[in-house]
Amino acid sequence: MTGAFARTLVATGWLLAAPLLLAADPPPSGPMSPGEYIYRASGCYGCHTDEKGGGKPLAGGHALKTDFGTFYTPNITPDPDTGIGKWTEQDFIRAMREGRSPAGDHYYPSFPYPSYTKLTDDDLRALWQFLKTRPAVKQANKPHDLKFFARARTFVGSWKALYFKPGAYQPDPGRSAVWNRGAYLAEGAAHCGECHTPRSALGGIKSDMHFAGSKDGPDGSVIPNITPDRNTGIGKWSKGDLVTYLEMGLMPDGDSAGDLMAEVIDNGLRYLKKEDLVAIADYMQSLPAVEHAVHKPKKKQRSEFD
Amino acid sequence: MKMQHSLFALAVATLVAGAAVAAEPEDIIKYRKNVMKATAGHMGATAAIVTGKVDYKGDLADHAKAIQALTKDTAALFPKDSDFGDTEALDAVWKKNAEFKKHAQQVKAKADAFVKVVATNDKAKIANGFKELNDSCKSCHKEFRKEQK
Ligand code: HEC
Ligand code: HEC
Ligand code: HEC
Repeated sequence: MTGAFARTLVATGWLLAAPLLLAADPPPSGPMSPGEYIYRASGCYGCHTDEKGGGKPLAGGHALKTDFGTFYTPNITPDPDTGIGKWTEQDFIRAMREGRSPAGDHYYPSFPYPSYTKLTDDDLRALWQFLKTRPAVKQANKPHDLKFFARARTFVGSWKALYFKPGAYQPDPGRSAVWNRGAYLAEGAAHCGECHTPRSALGGIKSDMHFAGSKDGPDGSVIPNITPDRNTGIGKWSKGDLVTYLEMGLMPDGDSAGDLMAEVIDNGLRYLKKEDLVAIADYMQSLPAVEHAVHKPKKKQRSEFD
Repeated sequence: MKMQHSLFALAVATLVAGAAVAAEPEDIIKYRKNVMKATAGHMGATAAIVTGKVDYKGDLADHAKAIQALTKDTAALFPKDSDFGDTEALDAVWKKNAEFKKHAQQVKAKADAFVKVVATNDKAKIANGFKELNDSCKSCHKEFRKEQK
């Protein structure tokens, strides 16, 4: 990996520069199947739908601008020619678990498989069943428009060797069932850390900064520290405050959640069962408090490749 | 004497009118933020009651009425020249003003409805009405406000 590449990765995570604004998935039409439930929790719609361009649900084409260039999400509807209609369940599980395509190529981690890998086989199968019921849309994928150093998928291989740990979530026997459920949802399906955990120089998760926020969010937005630190995090929030926030996007001071978090809530978290939101809150309150104040950056750093 | 009196009145009138004309954008921005914050204070208090965190049910109607009063004309808090300064309002407030006004009408409608539903004492209906009211704040913020932290 070149120094330039490393420096670019300082500026953003793989996901952070993705403007997901204003995507709105219609609410479930009835009781949710297990697959739809995981789908809601995981935010597939927001990335795989080009709402702004009037695109059909899950047909892809949503531009995710990052410092690596622009990713265009692929069509994940069951269309056999332009979507994933010819995939087998095994192909799908491999993509989610290992970040590899049916042909064996590496996916870029702008597809948050480093979190989705934690989903259980049962949940992945249920999700696959649900995706197969979505309306097929014929829409060819748009090639990514990446900077030269990021173009070869082989380089993702080196990244994965350093930072990617494939495998379903392993419950911690020393913790309660509620805590484990919360950890599973927060770290896996809902991929909170993909936004809330800052990245190391090489774009890997900084484990000592787990959930400690980042000032390099998309469009200059700030991703808050959500560890229980009382001054720079959300240590002053009660468990009930957290649940209310995740359920309806209302902060303890009565202001509303904005930005990407409003999408995460409106398209997903609001449909989760109360006990699952309580579990996420339980898990979050158990995290080590990290003192990390995030301020608005004075000026967005530009990479020399712009 | 009479003459002096009316001159004085005139001077006062001019002063008052002058003050109104010269209402500085910064003052309007501060005013509307305070109105929004006051509304939010009642929303936070209402949430604590509605979700059962605290037991001040007797105050619920007061909060609902305060929210209703404070949201009766949100669009008026955003006159044309108040787009510049320490504000998080996006240009879209003025560029897509018709849409912005729809959101303003929406929050008024939801606040009116919430006052009515609080009077029924029906827990589930109250919770639902509150969610809808909150959604009407959130959806306007999503489109018309960018937080500058
Ligand atoms: C943060 C944005 C984001 C989210 C959320 C997201 N994806 Fe993706 N996804 C991507 C991107 C970007 C790619 C393309 C990666 C590449 O080309 O290497 C992708 C690729 C895929 C592919 C491979 C498609 C193909 O044609 O090879 C599948 C399948 C997929 N995503 C399914 C899902 C599912 C299911 C979910 C929800 C559980 C989901 N994605 C959530 C961004 C996202
Ligand atoms: C796509 C990026 C993204 C994901 C995924 C995400 N968040 Fe957020 N989160 C944000 C942003 C941006 C904000 C700031 C919202 C605002 O400006 O109002 C935020 C705010 C928050 C806050 C409020 C903190 C404060 O001090 O205002 C909490 C709590 C939170 N997120 C928890 C979570 C949890 C729990 C998850 C996973 C279930 C999660 N987030 C997933 C981007 C994200
Ligand atoms: C019609 C659009 C609209 C509606 C409806 C709306 N707001 Fe706002 N709100 C805004 C805009 C725009 C700003 C940014 C104002 C500024 O910075 O000048 C704002 C700012 C705020 C702020 C931050 C104030 C500050 O100190 O910076 C709070 C808190 C708030 N709104 C609460 C609410 C609540 C609670 C509701 C619902 C009861 C609500 N708003 C309904 C548009 C709206």
